Amino acid sequence: MKPAQTTVPPQTLRGNGWLRKQAGHVQLWLMVLPAVIYIAIFCYGPMYGIQLAFREFDFSKGLTGGDWAGFKYFEQYFTSPMFWPTLRNTFIIAFFSILLGFPMPILLALVVNSIRSNRRKRILQTTVYMPYFISTVVLVALLQIMLSPTTGLIDGFLKALHLIPADTNLIGDPGAFVPVYVISAIWQACGWNSIIFIAALSSVDSQQYDAARIDGANRWQTVWHVELPAILPTIIILLIMNMGSILSVGFEKTFLMQNSLNKPVSEVISTYVFNVGVKSNQFSFGSAVGLFNTLINFTFLMLANALAKKTSKISLM
Amino acid sequence: MRKKSVLALLLAGCLAGLSLAGCSSKENSSDGPDSGNSSPEGKTKLKAIIVKHSLTKDVGEMKWLTDLEEKANVDIEWQQISADWDQKKSALFASGEIPDLLFNATSNSDFVQFNGLFEDLGPLIDQGAPNIQKMFSEHPELKTLATQIDGKLYGTPRYKGIWPGSTASMFINKTWLNNLGLQVPTTWDELEAVLIAFRDGDPNQNGDKTDEIPMDFNPIGWDFTPKLLLGSLGLPLSNGASDGYFTEGAQVKNFYVDERFKTLMQFLQKLYSQNLINKEAVTQDYSKFQSVARGSGATAKVGFTWGWETGDRFGNELKDQYITLPQLKHHADSTDELYWSDDYYYQNYGSNAVSVSASSKNKEAAIRFIDAFYEPVVSLQVLFGGMNDTDKGMKDNGDGTYEVLPPADASLDPGSWKWTNSFADNGPMYIADALKDKLTLGSDMQNVLKEKAVYDELLNKADQKTNVYPQNFMKYSTEDTNTLAMNQANINNITDQKWANWLTTKVDIEKEWAAYVASVNSSGLEQNLQIRQKAYEEYLSTLK
Amino acid sequence: MSRRQASHSQSLNVSGGIADRLYTLVVAVISIAAFVMVAYPLYFIIIASVSNSTMVNQGQVILWPKAVNFYGYEQIFKDTRIWQGYMNTIIYTVLGTLLNLLVTLPAAYALSQRKFKARRFIMPLFVITMYFGGGMIPTYLLIRDLNLLNTPWVMIVNGAISVYNLIITRTFFETSIPEELHEAATLDGCSHFRYFVSVVVPLSKAVISVITLYYMVGHWNDFFNALLYINTDSLQPLQIVLRNILLSNQAFAGGAGSGAGAGAGSYAQQFADQIKYAVIIVSTVPVLIIYPFIQKYFEKGVMIGAVKG
Repeated sequence: MKPAQTTVPPQTLRGNGWLRKQAGHVQLWLMVLPAVIYIAIFCYGPMYGIQLAFREFDFSKGLTGGDWAGFKYFEQYFTSPMFWPTLRNTFIIAFFSILLGFPMPILLALVVNSIRSNRRKRILQTTVYMPYFISTVVLVALLQIMLSPTTGLIDGFLKALHLIPADTNLIGDPGAFVPVYVISAIWQACGWNSIIFIAALSSVDSQQYDAARIDGANRWQTVWHVELPAILPTIIILLIMNMGSILSVGFEKTFLMQNSLNKPVSEVISTYVFNVGVKSNQFSFGSAVGLFNTLINFTFLMLANALAKKTSKISLM
Repeated sequence: MRKKSVLALLLAGCLAGLSLAGCSSKENSSDGPDSGNSSPEGKTKLKAIIVKHSLTKDVGEMKWLTDLEEKANVDIEWQQISADWDQKKSALFASGEIPDLLFNATSNSDFVQFNGLFEDLGPLIDQGAPNIQKMFSEHPELKTLATQIDGKLYGTPRYKGIWPGSTASMFINKTWLNNLGLQVPTTWDELEAVLIAFRDGDPNQNGDKTDEIPMDFNPIGWDFTPKLLLGSLGLPLSNGASDGYFTEGAQVKNFYVDERFKTLMQFLQKLYSQNLINKEAVTQDYSKFQSVARGSGATAKVGFTWGWETGDRFGNELKDQYITLPQLKHHADSTDELYWSDDYYYQNYGSNAVSVSASSKNKEAAIRFIDAFYEPVVSLQVLFGGMNDTDKGMKDNGDGTYEVLPPADASLDPGSWKWTNSFADNGPMYIADALKDKLTLGSDMQNVLKEKAVYDELLNKADQKTNVYPQNFMKYSTEDTNTLAMNQANINNITDQKWANWLTTKVDIEKEWAAYVASVNSSGLEQNLQIRQKAYEEYLSTLK
Repeated sequence: MSRRQASHSQSLNVSGGIADRLYTLVVAVISIAAFVMVAYPLYFIIIASVSNSTMVNQGQVILWPKAVNFYGYEQIFKDTRIWQGYMNTIIYTVLGTLLNLLVTLPAAYALSQRKFKARRFIMPLFVITMYFGGGMIPTYLLIRDLNLLNTPWVMIVNGAISVYNLIITRTFFETSIPEELHEAATLDGCSHFRYFVSVVVPLSKAVISVITLYYMVGHWNDFFNALLYINTDSLQPLQIVLRNILLSNQAFAGGAGSGAGAGAGSYAQQFADQIKYAVIIVSTVPVLIIYPFIQKYFEKGVMIGAVKG
């Protein structure tokens, strides 16, 4: 693409302006149309299923033909003795996952971006990317082996350095559950999550580095004044989307890590619904709790979005 | 109603067309557009889904099954599921389009949830299922088992009768006892002394006094756990005692709030505080639980534990070091009645082996095919594999006796061979009691029965009408099912963490007990006990 | 980029004071720590996949494999379904990702245009679907009604757009492609289509490679779609095949005597867990191979400066 070189006479531009604008809109509509159609069919098409949360499931009357139950299933959850414990546990795990899990990939991306040797850079990048592909089952099996209070390598290491008391059971102690959950999640996803930031950093204009250098900035200042501002929009957008998972805790990992000792802190909304639902086959209860969960998440997303819009003019929509 | 069935037919046709359109596999390519009707040879075509064990081979390769289809004059198009059925089934059932036959794919709660989707087999059995009728007349309790709360029968039961009466055995390392010059313990007090000796000595004689684990087990709620010691205190456990329920004197009770459970936990806490129990008993996964007991080479690591059978629990190299330990007395002078968990129903009875779609067009053919499985000699083959040169599962000795053959594939153990080669325990079957004496079991089962024989005396003593909790036989309404599940989730949340906490800390159990019982009761246990008592009494009323 | 960066690092070194040296040191420490923390468990998975599982579970396998055997890999590769599974997964991944990009990129472009007023209501409607859905059963009924059940198309079409990826792409278009460029192009008489194809796409290699990777990996790991919608063995993707192999080898891992009185034990326990680790390696190696190809697009970066100049 060559930059505009010819000078267009002003009249021509004004004369065609309206038409061209309309033509442009049609083009933009055409470009967004496949996505709109897809979302309409595959996402809004089945949306009627949300009714299940408010109805008694009655197969003979069709999927959503059962009697209206109102907020019965919501109340069932709200009045259950497990409501607050599960809500609290879910929130704590998700909160720390975001608090610690969000900045780490950014840090890693900055580090990767600063490595001069291309070979080392690639080796590090590829290595940290790999754990993402380990299945949850194997991740939890690794934790069992490495953190075992009798034979675990990491457990032994931490105890040898007196970083944890000698009678700690990292797999069982309720106090260890959230740290183990969060740190293992960071271990697994940090490299993967840093990819987007590494890509964003690659678009930093070399002129900006030069300008910083001419201004006499040191490397720390370059990070602060050049690199971080360059990836800030990406950071903000991802942070907003992360806030929308403030009540999302992966079911499989929690379920597999759960045991009788850590249950006071490891029973979360999704495992509780599973425990109730699996025995009674209840669609409505599960749907109601799921909807409640989603509403909280969505509220947090909207709040974060509004805040971002106000302070930085960057937002999801 | 009529309108609905027309719609269902249309939908079923739609599905048939659909699966044809999407299929390129060889199995389906032979299907004509006439599926649901008769094939050229006059056989009735039926579609079936089977939820099989993950080891089980393609059922199309089982000759006994092909023969059976031939005999029943049906041609079955199998859809085989070997994993994650629970996730697939709600979508499939809710869509309303299910195949004619469903093997091992339904549960009591499905019949309630998807009311109208499954056929009531009662009338069909009366008309055209002589084998099933015979089974019901010989074992009327099987009919009770299969009948739902609305009086209908949506799934046929299964019956083995030759499996042991208990799931778990208690094992102690005899070699260790000999090495230390100790007697086999008969009471909790003696057990404690033995465990201390295991801890302090070097019973495995490898020069390391610290590598012995005196005692190991699974979390209390599972099968292989110290809950079995409740039998020392006169508490009759049965059928897995899932979530702690048992019956005593025809009353449904829960051991988690029983004084005797407190006594047990105090004992276990004492053992744990003396470092006699594996520090990881609560948190280790099943892989580790099994691996630890396999020791290293010929050096055993675990002294006392629970499991299914020695070969399974300790591996072939170490299994001969262990013996099955009879139930212990509490103290030498205790007078409590001794019990061992009576799991006979749990091991030998099963429900919902086959169900039929209410919209099937060929219900007569369907029931004819199902009934063929219940002919006792066919049932043997369902369980152990075909009696022919292709399947090599069993041998017909010609004189009315039968023999389970050792695995034809030498790399497999008998258990895996059985699961690979046939429907095994997941199939519809009725091993008539008359066959019991005419059947020679495989080496694995013979060993299991031999090992578990030490419990026979206690098991035979159990009173079926008062002290055995018939979990499978009890039926609940939808509302009760929901209440039970809701309450149980809350109850488990307390009980599950409390026993683990008591075991691993030094808190005074006596002091916490009253408050704990009160909180469990108020979390819905009282209500659950009432619901279960009602269902239990209904069950008792069906016994003659 | 490499040359450019090399030169600027060099000049940093020349002018580098203590602060810059400290920076280099911190970077080195963090990268070594990160490398070790990640590499060891990965190495452990590799040695666990060829060691005796009992010894692995007992914590005896630490630095070197013990009682080496290849049972896990033998079990996986003796199953002929695995090649079909690889084939299917590759087809689903390639076609699926192409479709993803064809839908996502133009939409992200259109939604990045401030003049495109409709985006004010399209975006919220899209974002809602990230959180609210009809659930598994209505979706299943939809797939059935579209005649996609048990066809390869369901693996390609379902999930044709991820709103998450759309937002990431759109944000990149909004913030990294200078608006002056579009104004200049418009003056030049360039349509949106042409501008998109000949300016935006070439300038966005970094973000396109990222979302390509996201989509590819999503297809590669897709297990749930196949579980729900595919019944025919010959259409199953790799993940399902591997899961079946895994399960049949861990048949009794849930408890031997329980479950309908199985009566068979985990006699093959010493091998069973190997498969768990071997499966990870077999399913991940291809995804690792493609990574460097994608990686090189982030390193090159985008020469916006050059275009502007």
